[in-house]
Amino acid sequence: MPNHPRNPSDAEIIRRIIDGDVNSFEHLLRKYQDHVLRIVKKHVPFQEVEEMAQEVFVRAYQALPGFKEEGGFRQWLSSIAVRTCYDFWRKRYRSREVPMSDLSENHREWLEKTLSYQSDTSFYEKSREKEAKEMLDWALDRLSAQDRMVLELVYLEGLSVKEAAGLLGWSAAKVKVRSFRSRKKLETLLKRVIPT
Amino acid sequence: MKNLQHRYEALRTILREAYFGKEHVEVGEQWQVNAMRRIRALGPIPSGANFFLFFEQFVWRLTPATCILIFIFAALLFKLDFTPEYEVFTSLICDTEELSLAQLFEF
Repeated sequence: MPNHPRNPSDAEIIRRIIDGDVNSFEHLLRKYQDHVLRIVKKHVPFQEVEEMAQEVFVRAYQALPGFKEEGGFRQWLSSIAVRTCYDFWRKRYRSREVPMSDLSENHREWLEKTLSYQSDTSFYEKSREKEAKEMLDWALDRLSAQDRMVLELVYLEGLSVKEAAGLLGWSAAKVKVRSFRSRKKLETLLKRVIPT
Repeated sequence: MKNLQHRYEALRTILREAYFGKEHVEVGEQWQVNAMRRIRALGPIPSGANFFLFFEQFVWRLTPATCILIFIFAALLFKLDFTPEYEVFTSLICDTEELSLAQLFEF
C-alpha cells in the first residue's frame, strides 16, 4: 500500500491517476463536485443535471493526460463542464428535441406587472421566481446552441469575452460576434412580449 | 425609447436572477457514485492514449499550413505545363520503332 500524503495537491492526485490509481479520482470528484454542479445547473435542464455532471467528470478523467497546470485544475474542469453543456444543447437541437413552449397570457400579465411595479418588492419577490425561469427558458429555447451558451456566459453571467472564449474554446472574435447577435435576437424576442 | 431601454434593463435583471436561481436547485447524491462507477469501468488511463493526444494537440494545428502548401503546389502544377511530358510519354509508348528517347531531344 503506497504511503500517500493526507492532503495531496491536485497535481499529485493527477499524477497518481495517470499512474493507474483510478480510485484517486474520487478525491477530485469530491473536491470539485459543487463547482461542477453549479455550472451544470445553470446551463442544462434540471432533469439532466446529474447525467451531465457525471459526463463532465468522465470526460475530465479521459482527458487527464492532456491537463497542463498553467490555469489550474479548477479552470480546466470549468472549461470541460461548459463544453459538455454546449455539446448537450448541440445534440438536442440536432435531434430537434428542444420543446418550444409558448408564453401564456399569464406570463405576459406577470411581465407587465413586474416591469410596472419594480419598486413594489413584495409583489416582485413573490411572483418573479417561477415566472422568470419560464420566461428565461422560453427565450433561450429560441436561440441556437451557440447563441444560447454565449448569451448565458456573457449577458447573464457577466463574464468577459476573453473568459467566455477560454471556457468554450473559441476565439475571442467569434464570442464577440455571437454575443452581439444573440443579444439582438433576444431583444427581438423580448420586443414581442414587453408591454409598451 | 428611454422607457423601453429601461424596461430591457429591468427584464435583464430579472432574467439574470432567474439564471443564478438555477444554482440553488437540489440534486441527489447518487450521481457521484454513478460517475465513479463509470470511471472505474473505464479502467486505468491507457498510456497509448498519449499518442492520440499528441495527434490531437499538435498535428491538427498544422492543418492550416498544410492547406496552404496544398494550394501552392496545386497552383504550381497548373502554372507548369505538363502536356509536353505527356506527349513524350505517349510517343514512346505508341511509336517505339521509329522514335527513340534520344531523337526526341534532338528537336
